[in-house]
Amino acid sequence: MAVDRYEDVEFGEELPEFTPDISMPKVVQFTQAAQMNFGRFTDHDEARKSGLPGAIVPGIMSQGILAALIHRWAPTAQIQKIDTVFRAPLVVDSAPTCRGVVTDMDDESRIVEIDLTLCNEAGETRVLGTALVRL
Amino acid sequence: MILDLHNHSVASDDARAKVENYCQWIQRRELPLDGFVLSEHRQFDSVSDYRDLEDQFGLVILKASEVETEYGHVLVFGVNDDLQASFDFSSVKLSLETVLSEAERCGAIAVPCHPGRPRVGMSAHFEQLGPVDGVTVIETLNGGSRGRENDIAIELAEQRGYKGIGGSDAHIVSHIGRCATKIEREIRSIEDLVGALKEGDCEAVSYQ
Repeated sequence: MAVDRYEDVEFGEELPEFTPDISMPKVVQFTQAAQMNFGRFTDHDEARKSGLPGAIVPGIMSQGILAALIHRWAPTAQIQKIDTVFRAPLVVDSAPTCRGVVTDMDDESRIVEIDLTLCNEAGETRVLGTALVRL
Repeated sequence: MILDLHNHSVASDDARAKVENYCQWIQRRELPLDGFVLSEHRQFDSVSDYRDLEDQFGLVILKASEVETEYGHVLVFGVNDDLQASFDFSSVKLSLETVLSEAERCGAIAVPCHPGRPRVGMSAHFEQLGPVDGVTVIETLNGGSRGRENDIAIELAEQRGYKGIGGSDAHIVSHIGRCATKIEREIRSIEDLVGALKEGDCEAVSYQ
């Protein structure tokens, strides 16, 4: 059920996880829209030639996926800040899991802090971060 | 006791967790931790006082440091004024030999962390730099490890007779408690912890 009030949130609450679509057609669509047409994002062979494990998801696309997680949970939430650390590449055509959990709440400002992660199929964290969200 | 020996707070440049939120998380999730260690990158926090949080949450909160050497990253437990004066904690090019020997001289202990990790782990540098003398304990379980990194660390400990510790290497609140260290004796201070590690009273445990 979607959340729209600060009072409905609890410390430790897990946001509903989802598997984002990071298939090649979707990433190509994103890179075209973002004018980031580089082989490391859209061509597995070219990416491997430069030492990557395959074509990788652009960082700002990962950040967008994490923001989408928040808005799937709380459609009216205002994201005040989203801060990401890119630990390891997220490979295009893989099936990562996007998760979030509430780790701080400020009753005065009605802002909650959320831990965010994108993990690969092996459960390894590839992208992590936090967001400050006003409800 | 079970202590998570490797975590970072907002004092580290790449970490986002507040210490109080670590405590709240441990309590809310009923994690089997008796305490944790903050090991900030390239610095030692000699100012922060967590006694109120310790009392409020019934946890032991200790402070250490994670420094950077030519062999990769190293946790230093038992940092004191003498040790802080003996080398520059902010350097990214410390000598592991110096860190090990100065820690020993000052009553501390240096523990290479995530030794199976490419580039920032000790084993990645053996081929080029050769083996290292003076290591007695390594981090065999690191919560942020990928692929075979922890397996490599465990194999390294078995081959060379090192004792192993575990730490989550948490940079966000919800990552604390992924790995930890079981210690038979009571730990109430960093001196207690250093004594336990020097005597090999430590066993790495995973909760992942």
